Amino acid sequence: MTTVTLNMLWPYQRMIGMPRVAAIEHPFGRPYGDVGDAATQTAVLRAALEVADTAKRGEVVQLPFRWHEEPKDTKWHPAEASPIIAFIKKRRESKP
Amino acid sequence: MSDVTEYDPWRFAGSFIRNALGSQIPDSPFAGEIPWTPLAKPLVQARVALLTTAGLSLRDDEPFDMEMERKNPMRGDPSFRRLPADATSDTVVANHLHIDTGFIERDLNVALPLDRLRELAAVGVVGSVADTHYSIMGYQGNDASTLEKESAPAIAESMRNEEVDLAILAPV
Repeated sequence: MTTVTLNMLWPYQRMIGMPRVAAIEHPFGRPYGDVGDAATQTAVLRAALEVADTAKRGEVVQLPFRWHEEPKDTKWHPAEASPIIAFIKKRRESKP
Repeated sequence: MSDVTEYDPWRFAGSFIRNALGSQIPDSPFAGEIPWTPLAKPLVQARVALLTTAGLSLRDDEPFDMEMERKNPMRGDPSFRRLPADATSDTVVANHLHIDTGFIERDLNVALPLDRLRELAAVGVVGSVADTHYSIMGYQGNDASTLEKESAPAIAESMRNEEVDLAILAPV
């Protein structure tokens, strides 16, 4: 099975060794683009297909997309901290 | 937008996530065997399937189990779901405790671009769209063995049965 991973945390390639990686600098939850932004969704999908077709074994190809918001304005967090994040924060707070 | 030229995987993640996850990633390149299956046919003939880690399930299907993770933060639901090619944000639900699922609930294509894939197939960029697409729930805690040994092989077999040539995996 031929696979390509559209990956927002592409450094994980150093741990995992995926066949092909299309690296994209998008916020968590919206790898292909924002709500209603069909043009970006299509462009990202086409770029991932291109990587699937042309990348070399193990190659990380940086896709040339920039998110349309600054990080400080980009919402991706869940309404409540995930259980593991809450656990880590609580453990840190309890340390003397 | 600021004028930046470098791409930063942690740009939107924040320092807490960067510090928690980044420290686990080695500086050196992957030294193991990288699996490799070249595309067996031209892209214009290829059948394509999508996989997301967004915890998507059809509304009439069993949802991913969030209580498992709430009770034990070191465990995530290792199962998978099948999603038909005509799934939309109206027919699926998202269960994932690590992201704001509201965006997916408004537009499925942000994480599982079935509409976009169908459009590309219609104009001949790819050969066809698989009948079935897939979701797992990406957070597995400290034990991904069930996902690796049971869910992943089952997904692969299902794709083979549908003669999928290419799978696009998109973690959220």
